Amino acid sequence: MRQRLWALALLSVLILPAAAQELKPFVGGSIKEITAARQGKPFILGMWSLTCAHCREELALLSSLLKKHPDLDLVLVATDTPEEGEAISARLRQSGLGGAQAWVFADPFVERLRFEIDPRWYGELPRTYLYDPSHKVLAFSGKPDPRQLEQWLKKYFARH
Amino acid sequence: MNNSTIALFLAATLAVCPALAVDHAGHDKSGAAAPAAAPADRANVWKAKLAKPSLALTAAFDGKGRLWLASIRDRHLYVSHSDDKGTTLSAPAMVNAEPEDILGDGENRPKIVVRKGVVYVSYTRGLEKPMTGDIRFSRSLDGGRSFSAPLTVNDNREVISHRFETLEVNDRGQVFLAWLDKRDLSAAIRKGEKYSGAAVYYAVSDDGGASFQPNIKAADHSCECCRVAMALDNESVPVIFWRHIYGKNERDHAMLRLDGKSSPIRVSYDRWEVDACPHHGGALSIASDGVSHFVWFNNAAERHGLFYAHSADRGNRFSAPLNFGNFEAQAGHPHVLSLGKAVHVAWKEFDGQNSVIRAMASADGGKSWSPPRQIAATAGASDHPLLVADGTHAYLSWNTAKEGFRLIGMAP
Repeated sequence: MRQRLWALALLSVLILPAAAQELKPFVGGSIKEITAARQGKPFILGMWSLTCAHCREELALLSSLLKKHPDLDLVLVATDTPEEGEAISARLRQSGLGGAQAWVFADPFVERLRFEIDPRWYGELPRTYLYDPSHKVLAFSGKPDPRQLEQWLKKYFARH
Repeated sequence: MNNSTIALFLAATLAVCPALAVDHAGHDKSGAAAPAAAPADRANVWKAKLAKPSLALTAAFDGKGRLWLASIRDRHLYVSHSDDKGTTLSAPAMVNAEPEDILGDGENRPKIVVRKGVVYVSYTRGLEKPMTGDIRFSRSLDGGRSFSAPLTVNDNREVISHRFETLEVNDRGQVFLAWLDKRDLSAAIRKGEKYSGAAVYYAVSDDGGASFQPNIKAADHSCECCRVAMALDNESVPVIFWRHIYGKNERDHAMLRLDGKSSPIRVSYDRWEVDACPHHGGALSIASDGVSHFVWFNNAAERHGLFYAHSADRGNRFSAPLNFGNFEAQAGHPHVLSLGKAVHVAWKEFDGQNSVIRAMASADGGKSWSPPRQIAATAGASDHPLLVADGTHAYLSWNTAKEGFRLIGMAP
């Protein structure tokens, strides 16, 4: 048993790079956790999936914004499953988003997860939420307009 | 088989309803600027998706009131029937002897139609590349005991998307299949040209499904991953209804009568412009008096939510779309069924705790409607709601992870 655990530990070290970001399981209550940790602070919540081509454009856009505004607080939630964790982390790394806080849907009852995030979100991706400091939210479906994002960012985050 | 064994049998076929996702495989091929993931990575993700169990279960009545069910388990399509409205089920018959990656996620589901004792089924087989598939068809001539070796209906055999098929059979034994097809996108990419969305293709069998005529293009530029709806009109001609791309990127709905001479007609003007795929198609039912009943979902800032409209003259004029469902409760995945002047509409909402199926009914061909009422609920993952009729009564067919398959009578 102990040997097997060691093998598992070794395996995980081999698979995951040393600086791998933690992929948190997104379940009922997670959105409250995310907003509570950011009381009075602006942030961007980005919903995406491995299977969504427009999401790659979205990730590239967020990555470029992060380069311009290094203090941007970015929370990324993949609507895939925890079993796809490796691929999710790899995609985020490739997109230059290895430093963002990353979550993955961890409950097959997706209607509940979506409802807690936004009752008006029907699952289309990418879906982007801009939380201002009072947590009033602007929501976008599809790839957001880069200029609109940039305008919003300028209000709250210093430019590099 | 009693209820609990049915639940057990079904439980094996069900489990996780995969999260909605967007797929625009064509777009990235046409040159997205974003860094693409390694192909092996995408292929592995696709393979994992294919292997997931599916809640997609499709029910249909035959002309004698027998209920037929098609569901996916371990890479096989199974068909069973019930003479007591789903309380007890026959031993399931396997359709495809060779295992195949049968798609049952998002808007994909197997189809089943039973006419004059012949059982017709279709499904989409996922291919090795992400977001690709072939349209497959099989039939049973011995009352559902055995099925013909499935044949591929799309006559373009590139490893691209031929998916989201829909199936109808008329009383003359003609079989109709329509689906979304990316062969024109593929050709455009080869020529270095642009092509938005997918195309709608269809195929007809005049020999009861033994073989199909060459594929016919119904329309260019459909949305890529919303189900296609099909119904037979009062002359047994199929009519299809799908989410189209109008103008630059307006994802509105179109209908087309597949008589070989009609042109597509725009049904909705909600003007949802979005670089995303909603995975959220409409439904169509045509009453015996020829009135077509449409339901759909859109999410434009001005016009959003679920809509119902009807047309008494094959799409020349439509009723003003009726907005229904609670937009604050994810009202989605609407289905419609007409029985003469009676029209039933069902959809899914999330009430904060449960996914619920709500429904409304009209007794006057869609002119006036009952207030919405709740039909069923579940505290877990669930399939889309479907409405089926045994000729005189309408039923909700709904498969849920917790309760299994349920057939619930709709009040008139």
